[in-house]
Amino acid sequence: MRVASSFGLQGKHILICSALLASSAAGFSSVNAQDISYSRKQSVTMQPPPIASIYRGHPGTVQLQFRVSSGLHINSNQPKEEYLKKTELKLDAPTDITIEKVIYPDGQDRTFPFAPDEPINVYSGDFPIEVVLRPLKTVIPMKYAVHGWLFYQACDNAACYPPKRLPMSFEIKVVKSATETKKRIPPQSPHTHD
Amino acid sequence: MKRDPVILIVVAVVISLMLVFGIQKVRHNNGPAYLGGESKLQGQLAPDFTLTALDGKTVKLSDFRGKAVLLNFWATWCEPCKIEMPWFVDLQNKYGPQGLQVIGVAMDDASPKEISGFAQKMNVNYPVLIGKDSVGDQYGGIPYLPSTFYISRDGKVVDRVFGLVSRSEIENNIQKALGQAGQVAQK
Repeated sequence: MRVASSFGLQGKHILICSALLASSAAGFSSVNAQDISYSRKQSVTMQPPPIASIYRGHPGTVQLQFRVSSGLHINSNQPKEEYLKKTELKLDAPTDITIEKVIYPDGQDRTFPFAPDEPINVYSGDFPIEVVLRPLKTVIPMKYAVHGWLFYQACDNAACYPPKRLPMSFEIKVVKSATETKKRIPPQSPHTHD
Repeated sequence: MKRDPVILIVVAVVISLMLVFGIQKVRHNNGPAYLGGESKLQGQLAPDFTLTALDGKTVKLSDFRGKAVLLNFWATWCEPCKIEMPWFVDLQNKYGPQGLQVIGVAMDDASPKEISGFAQKMNVNYPVLIGKDSVGDQYGGIPYLPSTFYISRDGKVVDRVFGLVSRSEIENNIQKALGQAGQVAQK
């Protein structure tokens, strides 16, 4: 190659060294940039759930998937100490759709460098929360949005972040129940019966 | 086209330096100390504030001028904070006669009664004040707990640490605030 050959062996080495210096500096910077933005964003995210179809007049379950950022943990819904902030989902359901139950998973008992002898009940990584909803029989079959927020308080191995609220929402599709659908089937001809 | 190797090297070096110094600047302004950042407040006069203590008395930071102050922002929900508190109790006993004053600032939404109960349970022997966000803001915002500021006898911020560190590191910083830096390592 013309350019490389014009540099000679020493020139190539200088270029390689420069490239290494630039890439290592970029790598170093990107690691630290992550540390800085760490505290400013939410420590928990929710994956958009598929739209669940729920029969009106009947309970239906929606599973929400949350993810705690790597290296962090949040208290479970049943922390062992009363002064710890529990993870809690608060929902504001549309009129005529009731939230029957919010089912939290069991947390994991984990010890941390700051308290090696006192396990804390936490969520980390991915965890689900199930929501049982019941649309009233009178609800018009269509899509409805349920809004709310997840209250949580995250820590890493050395520090804790103030409690936060993660605004979230999901959709459900209210459909007519099976019995309602059956009623619509026209009666069969008496000639077909014995 | 023949490229000048010197120009290529200069470009690579300039880009490297921009990346390194740019990020370092951001970290020093905003980054947590336990990740290696520094505070804008370091070497500056610690912002004065007036807060109410758990016993109902009003406490002003500048009232402690002449003493080295360990100003610890904490909360009842902060597990790492709980680890430090017995150390602060011991260190207050050890360095109090030499002029150390530990002050806790509870950045909590719990009631003063709950905070008081927690502090009693932890046998806290230093004043605990009911914190306000405005005071946290004066100290550059408190994004993490525990956050500890070490203030010298003349009221200047000697160091700050975000997150739990070892007791020996806390003791080193106390020594710095007391003007006895370098003495801990020998002990």
